[in-house]
Amino acid sequence: MSGMVEHDLKLPLSDADVRALKVGDIVYVSGEIHSTAGIPTHKRMLECLARGEALPFDLKGGALFHLGSYNIEDADGGLKILYINPTTSTRFNDLMPQLIPALGLRLTGGKGGLDARSAQAMKDAGCVYLSFLGGGAPILTDAIKRVTGIGWRDMISHYRLVRIEVERLGPLTVAIDAHGNSVYDDTIKAIQDKRASILAELRADRERA
Amino acid sequence: MPITDAMVRQAAEDLYSWALRKVPDDTKAALARAMEKETKEAARQTLLLQLRSAELAEKRDTFVCSDSGVPVYFVKIGSAAPLQCDFPAAIRQGYEHLVETIDPPILKHVTNPLTLERGYHGKDMPIVSYDFESGLDYVEMTCSPKALGSGRWAALQLFTFPTLEEIETYILDVAITAGAQHCPPVVMGVGIGGTFDHCASLAKKQTLRPLGTVNTDATLAAMEERLTRAVNKLGVGPMGTGGDTTVLGVHIDYASGHGFTPVAVCFNCWINRRTRARLYGDGRIERME
Repeated sequence: MSGMVEHDLKLPLSDADVRALKVGDIVYVSGEIHSTAGIPTHKRMLECLARGEALPFDLKGGALFHLGSYNIEDADGGLKILYINPTTSTRFNDLMPQLIPALGLRLTGGKGGLDARSAQAMKDAGCVYLSFLGGGAPILTDAIKRVTGIGWRDMISHYRLVRIEVERLGPLTVAIDAHGNSVYDDTIKAIQDKRASILAELRADRERA
Repeated sequence: MPITDAMVRQAAEDLYSWALRKVPDDTKAALARAMEKETKEAARQTLLLQLRSAELAEKRDTFVCSDSGVPVYFVKIGSAAPLQCDFPAAIRQGYEHLVETIDPPILKHVTNPLTLERGYHGKDMPIVSYDFESGLDYVEMTCSPKALGSGRWAALQLFTFPTLEEIETYILDVAITAGAQHCPPVVMGVGIGGTFDHCASLAKKQTLRPLGTVNTDATLAAMEERLTRAVNKLGVGPMGTGGDTTVLGVHIDYASGHGFTPVAVCFNCWINRRTRARLYGDGRIERME
């Protein structure tokens, strides 16, 4: 990817590791990640933290991604993932500002981004948001080496908290960095600035037609 | 020889399965064209990645996306088609067989809106709409499974004697609200006029229109062109990380109505799930896309 900065990240990560990342950089992630597509799962994490209960995994320095996955249980209780793919992160807008510092996350991600409250939490805590390709199941699934843990088996398959060992998961784009920069906020601001001129062009086009 | 239950069952099953595995050819071509015109490197790379994902899914006979959505079918029945089938039952049976046998399996996305319970089955599932068309001697079935990512951004508003300016401003604002979240570049379907329900149906059917086809109505053709330009100027870009390609096409249809004018807008993500087959009286099931 000419002209673009690429990073190979190995989990767990330090504050300095993620502060080195800038919006627009391309990232590949290796190590153990955590994934879920469930709002109930996020709520359960917060409830556990509020009660001082341990989560199924220690996520400190790690990654929590908004990924849907289809997994099947082996006869020995292990899990095999057939495919993964990002889900819309904005569904978790109300929950991530609390979860990012409480879990000690360095990486989060999915598709569609998170709002300004999460961007602020990421800046404070030293965490970045990675944009995954929606509809990238074949590419993303290739990075999976094995499932190393399953949390909350009582939930339906894609709501569980799953710990997965991945090798060079990516390419992923840094869409919110740990310096308060967010492509989503920037785009929204730019659109607000441009809206009047785009409407004026629409009017001019209409009058010409 | 009539069109039978067995044919409808088979088509319902195949169409859904194909839709999960193959990005339509016109869509792949549109993504490739967009890549050539993109001025942003990151956007070009995302478009390239989308094309690669489509190619890999096809090569490996697997899914492009993990969200297989809910099954949505459109059935166009030719007035001269010989029929001996119970469409609702046969389509349901085809879908139920698919759920049990599809490889890889699909996730449980069908949701009861009152209890949020999830599964494969439920009231009104699959969602099917029927139209008749004069003169045709076949049945055309289209499948466009709808997932959460792009499904949730559709919108409809009722206006009273709106100007074209008000209509176009609304369409642009719906695109702005959706922002980056529907997996752009998308296909945008727009319906104008009719009644509440008819308008929504017009919009939805426009997402099924092949890309690159020019609207036969000159006013709408011009509107489509300028709205495509306008939405792409927003700069949202592929997957929302910036770029010139937010929409692959804006497709618009209208119907006459009363002075209250609904305007409906909906989206298909870049995968643009859309498969189509024709069922003939001689037993043939012809895959169109």
